[in-house]
Amino acid sequence: MAAFLAALINELEKLSKKKKALLALILSLAVIVIGQLLVVGVRSGLGIRGAGSVEFPVLVLSVVINTILPLFTALVAIDCFSGEFAHNLIRITLTRPVSRFKIFAAKVSAIALFILANLLLLLLFSSLAGFLFNANSASFSAFGKTIVTYLVSLFPLLVLALGIILLTNIFKSGTTVFFVSILAFLILKAAGILFPQYASLLVTSQLDWYHLWLSTSLPLAKILRTFLLMLGYAIIFFTAGYYLFDKKEF
Amino acid sequence: MEKVIEISDLTKIYPNGRGIEGINLDIYAGDIFGFLGPNGAGKTTAMKIMTGLIKADRGDVRIFGHSIRDEYEKAMAHVGCLIEIADSYPFLTAYENLKQMARYYPDVDDQRIEEVLQLTGILKYKQEKPRRFSLGMKQRLGLAAAILSRPKVLILDEPLNGLDVEGMIEIRKLILHLAQNEGTTFFISSHLIHDVELTCNRIGVIFEGKLLSVDRTENILNNYATLENYFVSEVERYGRISSSAY
Repeated sequence: MAAFLAALINELEKLSKKKKALLALILSLAVIVIGQLLVVGVRSGLGIRGAGSVEFPVLVLSVVINTILPLFTALVAIDCFSGEFAHNLIRITLTRPVSRFKIFAAKVSAIALFILANLLLLLLFSSLAGFLFNANSASFSAFGKTIVTYLVSLFPLLVLALGIILLTNIFKSGTTVFFVSILAFLILKAAGILFPQYASLLVTSQLDWYHLWLSTSLPLAKILRTFLLMLGYAIIFFTAGYYLFDKKEF
Repeated sequence: MEKVIEISDLTKIYPNGRGIEGINLDIYAGDIFGFLGPNGAGKTTAMKIMTGLIKADRGDVRIFGHSIRDEYEKAMAHVGCLIEIADSYPFLTAYENLKQMARYYPDVDDQRIEEVLQLTGILKYKQEKPRRFSLGMKQRLGLAAAILSRPKVLILDEPLNGLDVEGMIEIRKLILHLAQNEGTTFFISSHLIHDVELTCNRIGVIFEGKLLSVDRTENILNNYATLENYFVSEVERYGRISSSAY
């Protein structure tokens, strides 16, 4: 456990020192500012309400969950794996008394914590913006649901990250992984639109599963089914990714 | 004498047919073992297997009785290494780089980090990022990382790469100091024959993936004028044996 914790702290330190992580946070905040300006503009210009205080964070989530969050998840995952493979930096960790499984698990955990931090920051700032500009429509129960929607969004993003980690262990170049990931994301998104009957099986469609948590009566069976599907993908991607990582020669 | 490293039937053949084959070798406590061989002889391949960076096709390496294949963490607990190039994170300072490694060893604190930076002569660059370091300074940082945990065994692949004469002398002194005062066992590969002669007390010659001979430096120098003569003689002898086999 001590070796895993050391590896995890190291991964978090490396993430925090890289500009990509900072850029992700700045862009996330930019989305909130632009979003709020649009809401205020629509309300004062056209007289349409736009989004209330608790609706605004959900509106922000609906935008970022399909755009910048997957993008930065991909960038950070690629950096954590392909970036270190390309410059042999992975050797620094591999030659220490820590197993490859613990290194792999620590990297995955660091990426998960990065996604969670990004989501929580988005939640915090979008809620603040929502309350500041539309304080009259606030309610505690609705805010509780908003928190839940952000927290449950971690899971599909983590599944996506695990899929990208698998790709980093298949392709040598980080650039190749990035473009393959973008291409796969777009193809899966298009497939979800073209074949809606199979959409629930696709990783990209599961990014929107937070909608299920917004209903007044929770569709528990559907939530469980989607959760188990994602868990299945996560186990497959993690196992396959680790298998390739363990076999890799440096 | 205590066996520190046991290499048995170590074999790794790359798709191009090169690699190492059937290497058997024991390293004992207190050895400063010099692994001599020309480029492509298989020195780095053997050292990469010893440190878990690649996996052997056959055979195993045991360090303090622990298999590198089955008990990696235990096998590497008392090992420091520097393989090929001294790698460091370019976006972290020299101190932060060593701190990353220190976290794996409960006994390594900030004072020890300062100590190894002092020993390798880069203490004044503690807060600088290695992206601005010369090759020699990067090598010193790599060596600082290798000795950080006060390892009982040091596996060093071409440790003098990129160092100037002054640096070579300093590192050679450091190796001898660690061997004499801390009882560190060394496994060093180098193509600098003169340096191996000055530093190592046991020498193994590897050629075309096969270990040709192992002997103590004093025995070698009793029979040959220089280590270079011994090396050439061993390689020529192997050449005659392998050509007579056809």
